[in-house]
Amino acid sequence: MSAHLTEVIMAGFGGQGMLLAGKVLAHAAMGLQREVSWLPSYGPEMRGGTANVTVCISDEPIGSPFVDRPLGLLVMSRPSLEKFGPRVRPGGVIVINTSMIDVGSDRDHDCVVVAVPARKLAEVAGSERAANLVMLGAYVGASDVLPVDAVEASLVREFEGRKARFVPANLTAFRSGVELGRSARQGSEVVR
Amino acid sequence: MTKVLMKGNEALGEAAVRAGCVHFFGYPITPQTEVPEYLVKRLPEVGGVFLQAESEVASINMIYGAAGVGVKCLTSSSSPGISLMAEGMSYIAACELPCVIINIMRAGPGLGGILPAQSDYFQATRGHGHGDYQVIVLAPSSVQEAVDLMTLAFELSETYRNPVMVCADGMIGQMMEPVEFDREGRGPPLADNDWALGGADGRERRIVNSLYLTPEDLDAHNRKLKAKYDLIAERERRCDLDAGDEPADLLVVAFGTMARICKSAIDLVRDEGLKVALFRPITLNPFPFSELRAAMDALSERGSVLDVEMSMGQMLYDVRLAAEGSRAIAFYGRAGGVVPSPDDVATQIREALST
Amino acid sequence: MARIEIDEARCKGCGRCVVHCPKGLIEFSTELNERGYRYVIYEGDVEACTGCTMCAVVCPDQGVEVWNHRDKQTFVNTSGLTERMTHYCPGCTHGVIHRITAEVLEELGLLGRTVGIAPVGCSVLAYEYFNIDMFEAAHGRAPAVATGAKRARPECIVFTYQGDGDLASIGGNEILHAANRGEKITVIFINNAIYGMTGGQMAPTTLPGQRTTTSPLGRDVEDTGHPLRVAELLATLATPAYIARGSAHDAKHSITVKKMIKRAFEHQRDGTCFSFVEILSTCPTNWGLSPAESEQWVADEMIPYFPLGVLKEPAAQPAATPQEAQP
Repeated sequence: MSAHLTEVIMAGFGGQGMLLAGKVLAHAAMGLQREVSWLPSYGPEMRGGTANVTVCISDEPIGSPFVDRPLGLLVMSRPSLEKFGPRVRPGGVIVINTSMIDVGSDRDHDCVVVAVPARKLAEVAGSERAANLVMLGAYVGASDVLPVDAVEASLVREFEGRKARFVPANLTAFRSGVELGRSARQGSEVVR
Repeated sequence: MTKVLMKGNEALGEAAVRAGCVHFFGYPITPQTEVPEYLVKRLPEVGGVFLQAESEVASINMIYGAAGVGVKCLTSSSSPGISLMAEGMSYIAACELPCVIINIMRAGPGLGGILPAQSDYFQATRGHGHGDYQVIVLAPSSVQEAVDLMTLAFELSETYRNPVMVCADGMIGQMMEPVEFDREGRGPPLADNDWALGGADGRERRIVNSLYLTPEDLDAHNRKLKAKYDLIAERERRCDLDAGDEPADLLVVAFGTMARICKSAIDLVRDEGLKVALFRPITLNPFPFSELRAAMDALSERGSVLDVEMSMGQMLYDVRLAAEGSRAIAFYGRAGGVVPSPDDVATQIREALST
Repeated sequence: MARIEIDEARCKGCGRCVVHCPKGLIEFSTELNERGYRYVIYEGDVEACTGCTMCAVVCPDQGVEVWNHRDKQTFVNTSGLTERMTHYCPGCTHGVIHRITAEVLEELGLLGRTVGIAPVGCSVLAYEYFNIDMFEAAHGRAPAVATGAKRARPECIVFTYQGDGDLASIGGNEILHAANRGEKITVIFINNAIYGMTGGQMAPTTLPGQRTTTSPLGRDVEDTGHPLRVAELLATLATPAYIARGSAHDAKHSITVKKMIKRAFEHQRDGTCFSFVEILSTCPTNWGLSPAESEQWVADEMIPYFPLGVLKEPAAQPAATPQEAQP
């Protein structure tokens, strides 16, 4: 197994912004000179169907960009949780959007599980479309995948130009996720 | 140069521009559509020509026209579209014109599916159109390698005046990875060559033609082409070998994305103490027969081979040719857009080693 | 006095000049030439020759040159064609249309920057006859090849030369879209209502009831549809274009064809629009008619279905200075 390899699957429906969340993470990793791959699902299923992305971050060249057992999972919907939840490696992080998923995870014993009311926090932050970034923040806060400031910088870059007006709300949303993630990590017995 | 995070399809388009190609003719098809979508914005910045053709049949013939008047040109498609380009490729190869064709392979046969596959290996390496011709086929396994091979593709197409296909799968096309564009490939303008059409003012007229009605003339033309293909086979084989701890007991052979997945699988089983090597052809045509044979010969006495493809076994025939019966060869393949996972491949490797 | 010279060796004995000489000064020889044709000779009351050039205009084989009464050569074989003998059958008007096209390019001073595209069909070997840079294209694809060449080298004059099977059947899509994009190319479309090279099969332009080897009882329009009027079809497109139909079946109409082809290349030279000239042409061999009967068949059967004239032309012409594209 490659050293310091993190694979994260971000799964949702088309339009929920999981591909974008993955891109923000991938860009941040690249900025830190890490190896990275961003592999989306594609095709007709993306038109309102599932839209998943797998991001791999490593210190070594990435082998398969396609993973069976990720170390991280962000799920926006129940079918995605049921599909990918059992595959997360022990010691991994599972971020669940409780705005959409009314069940918990049975992986509390060996993973850090973060329950995130993503839509509610996004609304509080000022943009209901920023639920994806709340989720990403929760993941970054609950894992040691990348430093928070590196991901924030990447997020700002992602929205530069015509979309710059969305940055403040998106940053607030991201940070509220980070808070939740950090406290989940601190409260988890899984973290050594 | 700094790295940028780019989708494979877009990176292929940018690499073509950096190689000096500013003429693109193509038709939309999933999963390669980001190539034209990128170039329609990029080419006007460099004074280039972008045209969405009415079909792949037309695209490849526009390429024939553009290549014939001496410009570097590119078309891009995916499996069913490449089938439609078969005729044109035969003409372009017959007329010895340079051009580059991208195939972002999807699953077939028929309309098939749009997910990644490697089931066009036969088509790419054994011919698409009619006649005794060959196309150079390059198979990248990462976005960076796709970029590097794109530059090489233009160089090879001009050196040998032959179509070159960059053959990747939907995963490479759709995936984003950091890339560096460190090579600028601009050579002298092709229009200066003595084969390019453009008006016969002040010189002998030229003809771009593949019709030879005298059998002896056509035989001679075929012999000339064959000599060129032999030269290409001698000089241009490319591959990558991860021998691991020698001598290995199993040699996995895979190309493109599949080779990366196999690499992850091999990392898993090496942690278990298994001795496994990985051979990855980069040129599918010319196929690196002698290099593969050497890797087989370096295996332990009872060492065997596992060929893994996202197809029902196409490169397998070339692996067998390389082995010439010297090694047992097992095969694992999935089709239809099912991508074998590292765990799947690891299971196959353990099985191959236990028999 | 005016006079003509006949190159016996080039003559295929089609007799078109015999029919078209208003003074009856051309006859068949009793001898055969080295290619086995009963060639024509210029004799009789040759002092009656007015130098009208009709014989040269209808000759498909560049076999006649003409001098006027002041001994000035008034019909010179064009340098736009090679000296090669064509493989076309005697009386086939492909040769006439080749000559007209080459003459126009020569007269407009465009030969040196022209790239022609030969089709698949009887005129597959057109690259042997036009004395310019030429492509040989795949069946039906000439407009796509022309598009690629013209877009890559806009300073070149690019034309396709295509028959009815090539253009209207297998190449239906390519011609439609090249026209619709308004490619600044010229298309010379030869309509002889039959597949010539493959030996007389039904074409998309075969007339109702016309017998061919694949419509032996005559074309049944209930079964195979009606003949395609390609010029009319293209003229319906909203994209500006020069669209005309002429006929090469006799001298008078051939002169009109020349005007049309000239106009077409002027439009390309000036960067105005896509240009397309359909030309009704004879196929004595596959129609099973003599050259003279073939001409009559064009007049009696084809022209009523395929009316002649300029179907479409951009109303306003651009400024006097031609657009010279930069290389």
